[in-house]
Amino acid sequence: MDSWTYLPQLLASGITVGAIYALVALGFVTITRASQIINFAQGEFVMLGGVLTFFLLKDLTPSYLLAASMAIGIVVMVGFLMYLSVIYPLRKAPMLIPLIATLGASIFLSNTSGFLFGTLPKALPPFSGQQPFQIFGVSLLPQSLWVLGATFLLLVLLYLLSHRTLLGKAMEASSTDPLGADLVGISRNRMVFLAFGVSAGTGAIAGILITPIFFTSYNSGTILGLKGFIAAVLGGWGKNTGAILGGFALGILEALSVAFIPAGYKDGVAFAILLLILYFRPKGILGSPFVDSRRW
Amino acid sequence: MVDSDKKQFRKRDFLYVIPLWLLSLIVPDADDLYSFRSKEFKRRELFYLGALLFVPLIWRDPHFHHLMVLAGIYAILALGLSLFLGYAGQISLGHAAFFGIGAYTTAILTTRYGFPPFLAFLISPFVAAVAAYLIGRPILKLKGYFLAIATLGFGEIFQVIVRESTVLTGGVIGIFDIPFFSIGGFSFDTYLKQYYLTWGVLLGLFLYSKNLVRSKMGRAFLAVAASEEAASTIGINVARTKLGVFVIGAAFAGFAGSLFASIMSIANPEAFSLNLSILIVIMVILGGMGNLYGPIFISILLTWLIDILGKYQAWSLPIYGVILILLLIFFPDGIGTRLGIRLIYLISYWSKKKRRDEGKV
Repeated sequence: MDSWTYLPQLLASGITVGAIYALVALGFVTITRASQIINFAQGEFVMLGGVLTFFLLKDLTPSYLLAASMAIGIVVMVGFLMYLSVIYPLRKAPMLIPLIATLGASIFLSNTSGFLFGTLPKALPPFSGQQPFQIFGVSLLPQSLWVLGATFLLLVLLYLLSHRTLLGKAMEASSTDPLGADLVGISRNRMVFLAFGVSAGTGAIAGILITPIFFTSYNSGTILGLKGFIAAVLGGWGKNTGAILGGFALGILEALSVAFIPAGYKDGVAFAILLLILYFRPKGILGSPFVDSRRW
Repeated sequence: MVDSDKKQFRKRDFLYVIPLWLLSLIVPDADDLYSFRSKEFKRRELFYLGALLFVPLIWRDPHFHHLMVLAGIYAILALGLSLFLGYAGQISLGHAAFFGIGAYTTAILTTRYGFPPFLAFLISPFVAAVAAYLIGRPILKLKGYFLAIATLGFGEIFQVIVRESTVLTGGVIGIFDIPFFSIGGFSFDTYLKQYYLTWGVLLGLFLYSKNLVRSKMGRAFLAVAASEEAASTIGINVARTKLGVFVIGAAFAGFAGSLFASIMSIANPEAFSLNLSILIVIMVILGGMGNLYGPIFISILLTWLIDILGKYQAWSLPIYGVILILLLIFFPDGIGTRLGIRLIYLISYWSKKKRRDEGKV
């Protein structure tokens, strides 16, 4: 009885977290659509976005906007560098090896960040106002609205990029039919390179949005990356719409689970959902263009 | 002209034939699987066995013994995963969970219920195998990446359960004071005794898996790895084969976990995290797919590497990440695989290049 009264509140926080999961999932999908690689360092981009903004704001510039855009720029550079140093040399190796190499990159990035910026959790000031306000008996932080608004804006931009520009179509072509893309003169390596930049940028923005609400420490990227991956699988692997739907669904399910089972099992819930979805519907909710193809 | 060329070649011969011959004695090669030459095979195995028996007696450094104990435990894990990943071609990122199940079974049975360590050692792999059977039935129908992610999910769920069920497992702190391994009053309480225990178990499991991969079932692993459709058309029960090798790998991990618990006297969730699963997968990849010697060698190498890196404190993990990526980039087929052939290719390329530069060819 008691837990039901908290339900709307949990729903609101679930939607906020879900927006972040959706952004991380979009990062995964962007890279997969270009190259069919899974980049497990995606969560580290999120962590780096938050930690770098904190660091720049504290030591370099008082302007929030400047610090945030510099952090995004640096993370995009990290994404490009990661492609050049890890993925490009392994582009002809069997698929397992780039996967493990990105896990190695994730170890490197998170521990280097812990070494350079300290291992203590960091929190950014909210974009505007600390005071929570009430809507329908649910108290919301202004930052939650910022998260939702920025996520929506970013989703629209990514949609336009992938469906309305030549670049987005070229990216998709190089994933669905590599040979055909080669034949019509699309440089597959350049597409994957750009996809890494886009996905690192998305991750960094997610990190900046979430750091005022949750603390970000050097090792929080891994679990966030895994949750984002689960969201992408839940919604439908390889689909932008699937990633968004999966992100919100996962955030809400996870938040609601707190009402019914002990909070310590919250991380387990996401993975239990993953096992269930993989067993009963590996395609995900919306279906996936990659499952049932020859690779899986 | 021709004579001098021949002479030059012979002189240069010694430069790489001797190191290559020495390397070929030591370095394991996946090609042995297909070209079975009994004489060479036995000589090489005798060399390994002798080294294992006598090196710790000659080099009496307790730290070295301790490292080799750890390496032996990792090697058992890597051997089990090598059957699953290297032979049957299935990816598992949750192998550390079975290791943890083995360790916790031993820890709980010996400290809470007063079982003798030897009995717990026999029960642990059984528990791990049952867990693998129950988990494997649903998730082994997945392929490739999705299997990797599902096993990773299983590993994380195991972590959460261990952390949260404090009554049984001691939560984040874990279980302390697990008694040392002992048989009939003989306690394995020094590093040297533990070394012989670990490598003895490893030797037994190694002989088992060496026979296994030459059996009908072992050939079925290779067939499943090559193509599941083709394997099923020649009458191999693909689902049963995959489940079988998964359960065997988990039982190996159970043995390793039990040894770990009764040698380190401690079991806590940190020891069975995703990082360990990744480490084991890397051992198998660098050891070479479809190779039983390789993972054991790489586990010694990586244990040694991690120990050296430990001296650099905060730098150790970033350097570890970089080294792993570099090893994967330069040895995607495994370090030992066709090392001799690759070296010969490299050297002949260099020598030809030099002659080409001199304008002789």
